[in-house]
Amino acid sequence: MKFSYNWLCELVEGMNTPPKQLGLLLTMKTAECEGVEEVSGTEPECPPDSIIEIDNKSLTHRPDLWGHYGLAREVGAIVGGKLRDPVHMELLPQGPPPIAVSINDMALCPRYSALALENVTVRPSPRWLQRRLEVIGLNPINNVVDVTNYVMAELAQPLHAFDWDLLRGSTILIRTAQPGEHLVALNEQEYALDPRDLVIADERGPIALAGVIGGLDTCITDRTRRIVLESANFQAASIRRTSSRHKLRTDASMRFEKAQDPANTVRGLARALELLQEFSPGIRVVAGVADQGRLLRLPEPILLPLDWLARKLGKTVDPEEVKRIFERLGFLVSPDSSGAFMVTPPSWRATKDISLRDDLLEEVGRMIGYDSIPSQPPTALVSPPLQHPERLFHRQVRATLVELGFTEVYNYSFVSEEQAKAFGYKVEDHVRIANPIASDQCLMRLNLLPGIWKNIQQNSKHFENFRLFEIGREIHKSATGLPQEIPHLVAAVFRRDDGQQGLMELKRVSEHLMPGSEVMPASARPYEHPARTADVNWHGTTVGRLFELHPSMAGETNGRAAILDLDLKQIESLMSQDKRYTPLRRFPSSAFDLSVIAQARDLAGTMQKHMAALVGECLESIEFVRQYSGPPLPEGKKSVSFRLKVASPDHTLSSEELAAIRQRIIDGMRTLGYDFRL
Amino acid sequence: MFETTLSELEVQARQQIATAKTVEELEPVRVEVLGRKGALARISKELAKLPPEDRARVGKLLNAVKQSLEAAVEARKAEFQALALKARLDAEWFDLTLPAPEPERGNLHPITQIQNEIEDLFTSLGFTILDGPEVETEYHNFDALNIPPDHPARDMQDTFWLTDGNLLRTHTSAVQIRGLERFTPPLRMIAPGRVFRNEEVDASHEHTFYQLEGMMVDREISVAHLIYFMKTLLSAIFGREVTVRLRPGYFPFVEPGFELDIQCLICGGAGCPVCKQGGWVELLPCGLVHPNVLRMSRIDPELWNGFAFGLGLTRLVMMRYGIDDIRHLQSGDLRFLRQF
Repeated sequence: MKFSYNWLCELVEGMNTPPKQLGLLLTMKTAECEGVEEVSGTEPECPPDSIIEIDNKSLTHRPDLWGHYGLAREVGAIVGGKLRDPVHMELLPQGPPPIAVSINDMALCPRYSALALENVTVRPSPRWLQRRLEVIGLNPINNVVDVTNYVMAELAQPLHAFDWDLLRGSTILIRTAQPGEHLVALNEQEYALDPRDLVIADERGPIALAGVIGGLDTCITDRTRRIVLESANFQAASIRRTSSRHKLRTDASMRFEKAQDPANTVRGLARALELLQEFSPGIRVVAGVADQGRLLRLPEPILLPLDWLARKLGKTVDPEEVKRIFERLGFLVSPDSSGAFMVTPPSWRATKDISLRDDLLEEVGRMIGYDSIPSQPPTALVSPPLQHPERLFHRQVRATLVELGFTEVYNYSFVSEEQAKAFGYKVEDHVRIANPIASDQCLMRLNLLPGIWKNIQQNSKHFENFRLFEIGREIHKSATGLPQEIPHLVAAVFRRDDGQQGLMELKRVSEHLMPGSEVMPASARPYEHPARTADVNWHGTTVGRLFELHPSMAGETNGRAAILDLDLKQIESLMSQDKRYTPLRRFPSSAFDLSVIAQARDLAGTMQKHMAALVGECLESIEFVRQYSGPPLPEGKKSVSFRLKVASPDHTLSSEELAAIRQRIIDGMRTLGYDFRL
Repeated sequence: MFETTLSELEVQARQQIATAKTVEELEPVRVEVLGRKGALARISKELAKLPPEDRARVGKLLNAVKQSLEAAVEARKAEFQALALKARLDAEWFDLTLPAPEPERGNLHPITQIQNEIEDLFTSLGFTILDGPEVETEYHNFDALNIPPDHPARDMQDTFWLTDGNLLRTHTSAVQIRGLERFTPPLRMIAPGRVFRNEEVDASHEHTFYQLEGMMVDREISVAHLIYFMKTLLSAIFGREVTVRLRPGYFPFVEPGFELDIQCLICGGAGCPVCKQGGWVELLPCGLVHPNVLRMSRIDPELWNGFAFGLGLTRLVMMRYGIDDIRHLQSGDLRFLRQF
């Protein structure tokens, strides 16, 4: 929202704070000034000015600051100047109005005021007024429209002017739209009205979308001689809904949605009348003001205990100062017997902004300046904070991955339908975004793989080999309530080699995270290498997947990617803090090697398990040593060597016992179809 | 006569020991002089022929010569070993500037790093870390934070809506509500996490970024306490005293609400491109918790109150490392990520 510095100066007596300094003061006490821009001026009617630009977001709660007069009140309170009211209510005519106003629902339209004028001359506004509108970003159109805009920019009260001769009947109706009604608006767009839209209508139908935009049919033209000026108040929520329903935000709707003050409507008419008399000589008022609406609600006084104020601020403020602050901002203050004030907010602050003593606290705090409040440590109970086991676990996982050479990436939570399909997921299984930024970001990821896949593609352009990982949430549809968010780890190794090292590195990651975890070959999904895919199992549960990316997914990378995908939630649930000491063996152990002859695709892990079972409780350890295939072994066979250490808990094993164990293994393995190289 | 022979033998043997160049050259000398059939052994046999009065004297002398020559041989051997060791060690010269074999250590994402730091800081101040869903209900993200439907403050955060009516949380403030529902006061909590805004992405805007929400609810919390915590937090984060200013800011879930700015760390407040010449950088929206928010979570605002703040982790990372393009953070580009 742009404000003219000159305009503010007119409204505050004795204002001489330079624009930049004023901007800073407003930032510190009222609303954020985003910048001060000087505007040069050479014509005598258009002196140099400065634009003070205030961030709209910081005006969200302040309907009164959407006009210069409201901001001038703040300026006066800050710099100490007296506010000059530009409105002369005595100009308004008395008597019965020439037009009737009928409001269907006073909750939607708490007040509708109108003034009829005749003998209007439509022509350009004087240069100074045009210039003033231009400075704050409004386009001058003609004297009548410019006056409505000027009053809006001054008093925050939107006005609208209808060509009276183009209105049918003598009653203005404020009602919701009827099914099938349309309105061609001032912007020449046609709007199909919704039965929830509030409209201004004459006998024939809608002539304006209430609080948003006027109709084209009844607008002011060069031929206009008689006008009806509307100055109304509408329910903020209703205007906001209509405005967003039609995707039409206007200067009027922006103001109404902040909850404007119903007391302001007739002030707007008085100010407009004064200006029109100046810019359209000969203009005449036709009878009195039409003014319909419900009784104005008087703002409730709020009790403000001064000790409470001091405790909340962390600083005691002199009661006289408190009183002065409120009075300058237009509040009524009366002392209460028990060290408190009764503070009544003005009508323009009471629509939404101020209703609690906490709101009053802010008024005092900002005006004394928050920087004047000293920093102070609170006294609070000392207690150790609750632990967050999941977060601690994720930290450990990250630390492990980094130690093993992996770099952490963050990917978006969004995937495209194509990405979902590429990884074999059904589009309809995804949680879907109703208003995505782009069509390729319309689904919530069911899996971290699409992001990691993209990372591999892109980084392969710059690196021969790399390791990366992400910890993020999979978003799964749920039958009831919010979707399930499952934390996953996906780690990848990319290399330009035969791919085995990457798989082994990831297996190492898995073993670091889950001591004793196993990988078991599994049938592959379409994006997985059919002969290099395994489940990762821990404590009897499948917790993830280890695989090489299918060559068809490699694209231009000219390399191989091994991928580990783990369900961290499941792993965390399987982790046990319960560690127990096992006494060290007191009798020496003996080691021997065995080479198993097996089919080329027999699994070493399976052999190891069988042998361990055959040794039984004497087993201290069993380790893979090497494997071999080739002559003298026959085609399709391999030799896998293991080193076993065995010992007894209560004596040193004799050579006979050792031989028996060894023989037990050999015999047992032979019955399972293995052979030995002895 | 024996004395002369021994003396000459000693002189000659010493010379041979000294001139031997290797252990191999030394050994024949040792055998010739000190061996079982060596010169000294031969002389020793001759001793029997001497009269008893001379035998003891010459025998003593012979032993002295023997010991001295043995020592000389040992010393010479030690010299050879020292030389040999020196030569071996020299041959084992190794270029330690060669790179260590991979894998090199990886890197944590810079946002993870700063998040860990701040989590640790708040844990040390007695704050509990909370987590909440990224897909949120409209109630937790807006209504419970005193932002009812049709409130213009909803415009402050462009929202991704899901087809099921839920939304992607626009701020971690939603976790505040989950914390208030779950715990009874007094409470201190932080909630870091990923948030979403429906914004076009460019060098300074992202639709996905990271925030950390914090809240303290206790008996008598004041603006002065809020200032204390924010200053402590920022000094710890930046590792030095920072100058802050507190000004009004509007957020429906706090009253009063503030924007906390820090004096630009790049230019010290003189004005530079980072602070857009203003000298101050907007960093922390904060305020005293709105009584409506407490009430909606069934906490009596007459008995309890508190403060809340939001810290932009993404913004903080960009400030700390001077990152000029926010898109790098979610690019997955290792050329970028390996710098941290």
